[in-house]
Amino acid sequence: MNTLNLQMAWRNIWRNKLRSTVVIAAITVGLFGGLAASGIMKGMVVDMIDNALENTVSHIQIHDERFIDNNEVGFFIKNSSNLIRQIQSVPEVAAVCERTKAFGMASTASKALGVMINGIEPDKEKKVTKIYTKLTDSISTYFTSSKKNRILISQKLANKLNAKVKSKIVLTFQDYDGNLTGASFKVEGIFKTQNAMFDEQNVFVRKKDLDRLLDMPANTSHEIAIMLKDYHKTSIVLDKLKKITSYYIEPWNKIDPYLELTTSLTGFMLLIFMTVILLALGFAIVNTMLMVILERTKELGMIMAIGMNKRKVFIMIMQETTMLTLTGGILGILISIIFTTYFGRVGIGISGVAQGFEALGYSSVMYPQLSFTDYLQVIAMVLITGVISSIFPTIRAIKMRPAEAVRMD
Amino acid sequence: MSIIQIENLKKTYRETEVEVHAVNGIDLSFESGEFAAIVGPSGSGKTTLLNMIGGLDSPTEGKIIINNTNIGNLNASQIIDFRLWNIGFVFQSYNLIPVLTAKENVEFIMHLQGRKKQEREQRTKDLLTSVGLGDRLNSRPSQLSGGQQQRVAVARALASKPKFVLADEPTANLDSKSTENLLDIMEKLNRDENITFIFSTHDARVVKKARRVITIEDGKVVSDEVK
Repeated sequence: MNTLNLQMAWRNIWRNKLRSTVVIAAITVGLFGGLAASGIMKGMVVDMIDNALENTVSHIQIHDERFIDNNEVGFFIKNSSNLIRQIQSVPEVAAVCERTKAFGMASTASKALGVMINGIEPDKEKKVTKIYTKLTDSISTYFTSSKKNRILISQKLANKLNAKVKSKIVLTFQDYDGNLTGASFKVEGIFKTQNAMFDEQNVFVRKKDLDRLLDMPANTSHEIAIMLKDYHKTSIVLDKLKKITSYYIEPWNKIDPYLELTTSLTGFMLLIFMTVILLALGFAIVNTMLMVILERTKELGMIMAIGMNKRKVFIMIMQETTMLTLTGGILGILISIIFTTYFGRVGIGISGVAQGFEALGYSSVMYPQLSFTDYLQVIAMVLITGVISSIFPTIRAIKMRPAEAVRMD
Repeated sequence: MSIIQIENLKKTYRETEVEVHAVNGIDLSFESGEFAAIVGPSGSGKTTLLNMIGGLDSPTEGKIIINNTNIGNLNASQIIDFRLWNIGFVFQSYNLIPVLTAKENVEFIMHLQGRKKQEREQRTKDLLTSVGLGDRLNSRPSQLSGGQQQRVAVARALASKPKFVLADEPTANLDSKSTENLLDIMEKLNRDENITFIFSTHDARVVKKARRVITIEDGKVVSDEVK
């Protein structure tokens, strides 16, 4: 490839400024649209996963395997504090907490609802989940009161139960021996995460309060939640944990397979999305290049007459098509980078449909994001589109008979 | 020794039910250093003959031997390569590449030949100077007059160091001053550098300058006069 050929291809693009501008604009807008939509989609999913990991799922959980199937209070982890110490010695682990869990009814004078009661150790829980940052108002606190039987409920549950801070809620559940038990809890705080379903189904109390009411044996828990310094190292840590304990260890993508499915589905959607856009643009490029060939029949005939072989003509037209496509492609990608960088920082509010999104676990503010790999993938796709789009016009060009072409007027 | 040998050349078109014998049995030969004009009325077959000599069209019958190579035996790819290294073309309507400057248009053919940059630049400068355009190296065709464009086309035809130059009606689109100027340049190149020029024309000014005039009518040579 020499400089003169590239200069020629670039200048040829601008021979018909209006037409080339329209095609480049179409590619730019098409790619920007596709990338912006993909960025928003990906940002939402990443945000949803981050929220899920930080508020509910954490990176790894350990249970008695039977507890996974039927949540019976009797299926607990024995000698949990010792296990936690061992887990903390794994270098990749950032924080560990343990929970007692029980299904029960939360009721007020106006209503009763089924909930998962999470018995937590607030200080340790703070290092694993971010519920303490999700309090909705200034009078809500995160287990700062030293008094027993305090509860944290979500805004959504509070609305349904017609409860507020300092309201009393009665929790009823089966204890370790299968007896129905319960107690009155005072609402200490109201929280709101971006996952409405989680909010509706979970309440938080102190572990020691719940252990006492359940009559749990000492030094036990139903769930150990682990946050890692880098979640990409989940599988490494899993292997290490398997050597420490025989309890059932689950990574985040097994605990909530929907998270992983959504991630891979988003990548696939990006691919489909961009393929459809580039396919449509490809037809526009083919059409433009056919017009270019038609307009330059005489010129192409001349260069073939003076000695440019078919391979070089093929390369020349291909360079021109690819350059045209890449110009639009690079512009589209640049605008997309500006868009995702800016809105990735400030976010795009969607207050109008926020409720519906939150019900599905998505944030009501979208932070578009695309990775370097995503852009590379799109650039590769743009290049392929350029090359493929040039094939048909190029074949038309090399089929030309120079003797006839040079005499055309 | 002849550089072009044409034997019993025929070209028949069968586009309709009626066969058209554009070239109908021509025998000719051209020596190195000739300044020859092929003349004849429109439709007489002079352009078809020139196209066949240039390998742009293939004969129905007969053969063309250029420098001991029967170009009829070359395949499509070989004939393109043959044209690149052996034949220079000057077309009626200049046919310069509009997006390239005069210098780049001349250099283009040497690019195709894969000549080195230094050689390309020097030869381009020399050629454009010899056609009187040494000061217009960076002008695009649209910035040049018709006569200047045709002079760039002559420089381009010579850039590849061809064995001969075929010029199809090179003065048809030029005014008389430009025609005279162009013919003087080509005559000088022919005389000083022994470059062979073969024209197809019906321009009397070209005929006047030519040292050999071949007249064609109905696809046949009716006279071949050396002055």
